[in-house]
Amino acid sequence: MGTVFDFPNTSLIFWQLISFAVLLYLLYRYVYPPIRDRILQRQQQIEQAIDEAERTRAEAQELLSEYRRQIEEARGEGRRILDESRKQGEAQLERAKAEAREESDRIIQRSREEIERERDSALQEIRQEVADMVIQASEQVLGRTVDRDEHDRLISQALDDLDSELASGAGAPGSGR
Amino acid sequence: MSAVAFAQMTQEELRHEILHTWEVARESWVIPLSLGPMDISINKIIWFLWLGTAITFLIMFIGSRLLKERPGAYQVIVEELYGFGRNHLGAQMGEEGRKWFPYTLTLFIFVLVINVIGLFPNSYPVSSNLSFTIPLALFTFVIVQQQGIARNGIGGYLKNWVPGGLPEGILSKLALGPFLFVIEAISRLITQPATLAFRLYANMLAGTLIIYVFLSLILYFGVATALVSVPAAVVFYGFKLFVAVLQAYIFAILSQVYIELAMFGEEAH
Repeated sequence: MGTVFDFPNTSLIFWQLISFAVLLYLLYRYVYPPIRDRILQRQQQIEQAIDEAERTRAEAQELLSEYRRQIEEARGEGRRILDESRKQGEAQLERAKAEAREESDRIIQRSREEIERERDSALQEIRQEVADMVIQASEQVLGRTVDRDEHDRLISQALDDLDSELASGAGAPGSGR
Repeated sequence: MSAVAFAQMTQEELRHEILHTWEVARESWVIPLSLGPMDISINKIIWFLWLGTAITFLIMFIGSRLLKERPGAYQVIVEELYGFGRNHLGAQMGEEGRKWFPYTLTLFIFVLVINVIGLFPNSYPVSSNLSFTIPLALFTFVIVQQQGIARNGIGGYLKNWVPGGLPEGILSKLALGPFLFVIEAISRLITQPATLAFRLYANMLAGTLIIYVFLSLILYFGVATALVSVPAAVVFYGFKLFVAVLQAYIFAILSQVYIELAMFGEEAH
């Protein structure tokens, strides 16, 4: 025998039992523990890395929201400043307008007063002139010197009458001046 | 030699050509040795057994010594092998059975290496020898019985052999129970290890034989036959490579299942 149905082949049985037992022993003793440790260690490392990545991501998220918040704040601040300056500008414009209006009013007032005053003084002068001319004319007509004081009184009275006449006659149009 | 000379070959001679590998292995490369009355001579079979053992060990050993922080391709292969054993061989029925995956993983790699070595020309397919597969199955058998008894106690282990869910009644207790016990005993003590051994043996023998048969047709029918038989042999060669992996896996996973079946007999039913 010893062909395809090779049993019992004592030498093969013997060596097979020994070889496989030795193989099992060697693998259990020298091979599987380091591989197992290695894989466990790698697993731990991977877990650590995942944890770390997660933490970093959370941090980044936090930073991002912080930046977003800051940007939002800055934008709000900018808008506020812009609004304020616009308001200020408008207020200033208003004020300048009011001042200008006041100034012009004042100038107009002053000019009006000036004109009044000029008119008064002109009237005064005219009155004097008229009085003098009337005295002169009267002297020439009468051929003698008129009592100066008496005359002045008469003329003044006449002019005052005229004045009051004018005032009562042209009261309404007079106020429009 | 010519095609005519081939054609003159008798069937007996052809048979010798086909079985050449198995017939001459015991007489090749012999170092005579004996242990008492037992012949333990080293021959071609033993050399290839040792070659397979050494390669199995070296594959794993070198892989375990080259472990680095950033794994290279070789380390990945070894770690994947380990992971395969841990996740796919271990814990078929219960988490506790996972502790046996190094054993079944060793079986897987060892049988795979031996099977693949047998594919090389002029090698000896050690796994196509019953004297190789029976002792290998015996390892599993011993572990199965030891684990069954160690985990359940001898009484509990034997009680697990009677399947649960038997019908009530005296007849069932006296007749059906013992009957099933005997069947289960045969199954566990004889069928399991025997099928384990014979399956591997028969598959590997058939794969190698079929290649030789196809090639020897050239010797019997002449050179022209090579046009058919060589492609056919190549196809079967590829198929045998697949079978080599498959049978190694089946041997390993069945060993694991048998071990865990003995451990968790009660829970499994």
